[in-house]
Amino acid sequence: MIRHLFKLIWNRKRSNFLLITEIFFCFLVLFAVLSLIVYNVRNYYKPLGFEHENVWMLTMRPDTDSTALNRQTLEQIMQRAKGFQEVESVALTNSNAPFAFSQMNNELSYGEKKMMANEYLVQDDFDKVMRMQVSHGRWFGQQDNASHHYPIVINRALQQKLFEGEDPLGKLIPRNDSSSYQVVGVVEHYRPSSEYTAEEPGFFNRIHLPKNENEFYGELLLRVKPGMGVEFEEKMVKELSGISKGWTMEVATLEKMRQNKAKMAKVPMIALTIICGFLILNVALGLFGVLWYNISRRNSEIGLRRAVGAASSQVYRQFIGEVLVLATFGLVLGVAFAIQFPLLQVFEVESVVYFIALGIAVGLIYLLAIGCAFYPSRQAAAIHPAMALHEE
Amino acid sequence: MITLKNIEKVYQTKTIETVALHNVNLHIPKGEFVSVMGPSGCGKSTLLNIMGLLDEPTNGIVEIDGQPISRYRDKELAHIRNQKIGFVFQSYHLINDLSVLDNVELPLLYRSGTSAAETRHLALTALEKVGLSARTKHYPTQLSGGQRQRVAIARALIGQPELILADEPTGNLDSVMGEEIMNILLTLNRQDGTTIVMVTHDENMAQKTERLIRFFDGQQVSDAKTTAYDYQKV
Repeated sequence: MIRHLFKLIWNRKRSNFLLITEIFFCFLVLFAVLSLIVYNVRNYYKPLGFEHENVWMLTMRPDTDSTALNRQTLEQIMQRAKGFQEVESVALTNSNAPFAFSQMNNELSYGEKKMMANEYLVQDDFDKVMRMQVSHGRWFGQQDNASHHYPIVINRALQQKLFEGEDPLGKLIPRNDSSSYQVVGVVEHYRPSSEYTAEEPGFFNRIHLPKNENEFYGELLLRVKPGMGVEFEEKMVKELSGISKGWTMEVATLEKMRQNKAKMAKVPMIALTIICGFLILNVALGLFGVLWYNISRRNSEIGLRRAVGAASSQVYRQFIGEVLVLATFGLVLGVAFAIQFPLLQVFEVESVVYFIALGIAVGLIYLLAIGCAFYPSRQAAAIHPAMALHEE
Repeated sequence: MITLKNIEKVYQTKTIETVALHNVNLHIPKGEFVSVMGPSGCGKSTLLNIMGLLDEPTNGIVEIDGQPISRYRDKELAHIRNQKIGFVFQSYHLINDLSVLDNVELPLLYRSGTSAAETRHLALTALEKVGLSARTKHYPTQLSGGQRQRVAIARALIGQPELILADEPTGNLDSVMGEEIMNILLTLNRQDGTTIVMVTHDENMAQKTERLIRFFDGQQVSDAKTTAYDYQKV
């Protein structure tokens, strides 16, 4: 019977051309949207590499250009912040703190290899504030004060791309000046950009205030005790503002920043899903209409099939089968096109993302086809054979 | 082979009740070639539909090989149609998107246990019987009316049915083509012993069959052996 259905649809390819084309385009749109969704969802379930709950970011903007004065005030602020009983740990960072709308990257080279990597400037206690685990080597510490090199901690993504199979610990990476970075540790994951973003190669560069005398860092991360809220925020800002008169201070929780970042990924995803939903609805209505029309045109054939021995359930299954075969023709074209994405590694997205999207899209198209064919096929099965034969 | 007892068929709408058949009693033994005649609307096709299990009588009993079919469900009726009955229609009812061979194979698609190779062999044999083995790859639209009807007969034959129900098989054909089709049906009846019930408007064709039943206004008005049948040569 399957052979018969394929033959029937193939022989009617001209009249079915538009339906096959519609299914083909519907599949492509669905595949594109699903690829985006699968990409985001898969990233969402991957570890971030840090804990953002109960972490606040204090952004400070001094009112003078005097670095010496600002540095003095900054150290007083940090001293006071550490002194709050409600605060567990603090660390300075630069503007590309977790979930911030800012990025900084740098070109690194090792041997023949060169690559861009995100750079995160952090103080020694950053690992405590963000509760990060070093999987290989160590985090920054006092032992780095005497080092001739700039110690860095890299993430696994950078290690794999820059050092491949080699152990990165102790390896030197030249800086722009005559000095070098030295790898002291590796963290498994670090995805500060967003939960929906894939992990990118990155490294932590140490903020050591005595060494970076001319630098000013305006972002202070604080891990507060669980349950701290607006009351403590007001108290803290009031006290710190007392130390740094004229400075602008702003506190944001990393949770709030995470939500803002998540919105940026969710909004296009939702918008595309809605657009895709409307498109599918249109295709479904079209498919339903065409199937309905086709079946009403084939009354005589239905009557004949019943006469030669088809039970009504077989007529029902035949029409569902025909739609599935029709969908298969559209899908074969669609899959042949879509498979190029993982094969050619388009957009540097993991192949598995495309394969999952492809599988779901194929399943949804078949479900859509069955859904659209269900009622017309039932009607076809209910046609009285004697009446159908008489209509010719 | 097939027996009808007190068959009545009434078509009912909200406002009108039409009696298509009234108190029809018939017995058609195995191997008989029966023609049914009567003016349009007298219930001939309804009778054929009831005999072919495509329609149910409002009242009365239909027996096939002594078994009343009223207790059978849709699936079982379909099985009997597939195994025992072949249909030939005035308008051929061929599927234009399938080749001659595929059209002929159609009944065996609904018969389990027949392999593709066997189906093909039976289809070719059926086409050979009707003299169309050279047209297997043609499509119905590429054939003449007579050829199409021969394909329809081959389709009815492929399942080797005991009974062929032919509803005006020569109605759309000229006299030469009509003769050809009639000869094929007569051969089937005489050589293979296939029971045939044929509805026709053509008195000459009817006279070539063994028995002629006349209908008028849904009632059987005569049922007699024809005189010419014994002397017909195919």
